[in-house]
Amino acid sequence: MARSVTSRRKSINTALAWGVGLIIFFPILWTILTSFKTEGDAIAYPPKFFFFDWTLENYAIVQERSNYMRYLWNSVIIAGGSTLLGVVIAVPAAWSMAFVPSKRTKDILMWMLSTKMLPAVGVLYPIYLMFIQLGLLDTRIGLVIVLMLINLPIIVWMLYTYFKEIPGEILEAARMDGATLKEEILYVLTPMAIPGIASTILLNIILAWNEAFWTLNLTAAKAGPLTAFIASYSSPEGLFYAKLSAASTMAIAPILILGWFSQKQLVRGLTFGAVK
Amino acid sequence: MTTASKRPWLLRNINAKIAAMPMIFTTLVVFVGGTAWTVIYSFTNSKLLPRWQFVGLDQYERLWSNNRWLTSVENLALFGVFSLVLTITLGFLLAVLMDQKIRFEDTFRTIMLYPFALSFIVTGLVWQWILNPQFGIQHIVRSLGWETFTFDPLYNPDIVMFGLLIAGLWQGTGFVMCIMLAGLRGIDEDIWKASRVDGIPRWKTYLFVVIPMMRPVFITVLVITTSGIIKLYDLVIAQTSGGPGTASQVPAMYVYDYMFTAQNLGQGLAASTMMLLSVLIVLIPWAYLEFGGRRNG
Repeated sequence: MARSVTSRRKSINTALAWGVGLIIFFPILWTILTSFKTEGDAIAYPPKFFFFDWTLENYAIVQERSNYMRYLWNSVIIAGGSTLLGVVIAVPAAWSMAFVPSKRTKDILMWMLSTKMLPAVGVLYPIYLMFIQLGLLDTRIGLVIVLMLINLPIIVWMLYTYFKEIPGEILEAARMDGATLKEEILYVLTPMAIPGIASTILLNIILAWNEAFWTLNLTAAKAGPLTAFIASYSSPEGLFYAKLSAASTMAIAPILILGWFSQKQLVRGLTFGAVK
Repeated sequence: MTTASKRPWLLRNINAKIAAMPMIFTTLVVFVGGTAWTVIYSFTNSKLLPRWQFVGLDQYERLWSNNRWLTSVENLALFGVFSLVLTITLGFLLAVLMDQKIRFEDTFRTIMLYPFALSFIVTGLVWQWILNPQFGIQHIVRSLGWETFTFDPLYNPDIVMFGLLIAGLWQGTGFVMCIMLAGLRGIDEDIWKASRVDGIPRWKTYLFVVIPMMRPVFITVLVITTSGIIKLYDLVIAQTSGGPGTASQVPAMYVYDYMFTAQNLGQGLAASTMMLLSVLIVLIPWAYLEFGGRRNG
């Protein structure tokens, strides 16, 4: 309470902040509203906010035209699979970095995070070639592997920051009591780090869900997730905004809902653990 | 510790090394292997398929005399400078505003982060629509009676990059704000007390005390934002596909087109090597600042 803020001041600040928030949220809100309009209402002037004939026909048409459920299912498998695989590989690595640090731990972490910043085009072609040779092009398993690889540095980094907060003495105590390494990680560390692991998983699902560069370039009709689905609607031939909005809404709805119910984890995850 | 240090270094903490292996192995193979492959083949004249025919710096000479590449680099520089300055300024100002103990803070923060949680593809599409002269902002302002109002950034080659910039800012500002806010919260309350006792105005305290104290936060934001900018691809694909003409081409598109459409692999690889190089130029000073000093100390 060092910085006392008067309640009038507080109201002004709140109003100001929410004004900004509304501007930021408006495009999303507008997209969702438009998805329930007819094509005519979608481009009508003056713009219709809430008083139009609400219709679900856009959703039906989009589903019929491009089989939304299949894309959704691909997205779920790719995002979920790559995340789980990544966590399984990252937990032991993060454990060793947080509790058994060596002189090089900082360097390895740093080097690993920096790979996340390299432009993906730098490794696109070698991976593309590898995919052709292994027959992984346009398969879900291929995308699971690629997305796991590109997000692995983030997963390790996030888990590392969470593990750092757990006192090492507890793990030592478990070791004294004769716990093996596997037991130590599985039964002592993991339960304590559940909130951290949850945030990491959430962040990674969002990252994998939104990934467009790899999914657009390595998939075609069979394994394409929702990003490919949306991209297929972006062609300028048909400016059908209501349908486009319906498609976009269906692609972002899972993220918006997931994010709303896990606000704290979302914020911590998206800021790479910087915000607690 | 004593028993462990008597063993040779390879066997010390053997469990820890085994645990980290899968992660190190995968990153090594994919990133180091893939990058090395890209760099090496950028010195060949590979066309449709990689061919081992060394041509020295030919591809690079061709690259830097290609107008489309030069436009791409120019566009990216323009976009990069503006989006860095604006996201960091706006993000910081919003963080300061949010630090005044506003109501419903958590909800507000989530809403500000929503754009960052959306795919660039969706962002690009939504803004393509808002900036469309027939339906979006221009249409609405004209309908209000201002007949000559013109705002069609996506159809005007001179300002198309600013159309992309608006969408980029919308996407990234909330993210920067959240990190900045965490930095502000990390500042000791005593600093504020002291500055009030000394009668220093708030804005001066921010400018000369708080911002210098937040240096690590600014560096983190700078590195994350810059590396994101260099990768810029999905947003352009969804919003303009590089048009009108080649007015909003960016390097990642150039690479992609030469690799897969123009069937000039060597050229595409040379371009992606240049992108890798530019990221390294950003990363190395950061790595030095963040990790170099501490290790010696």
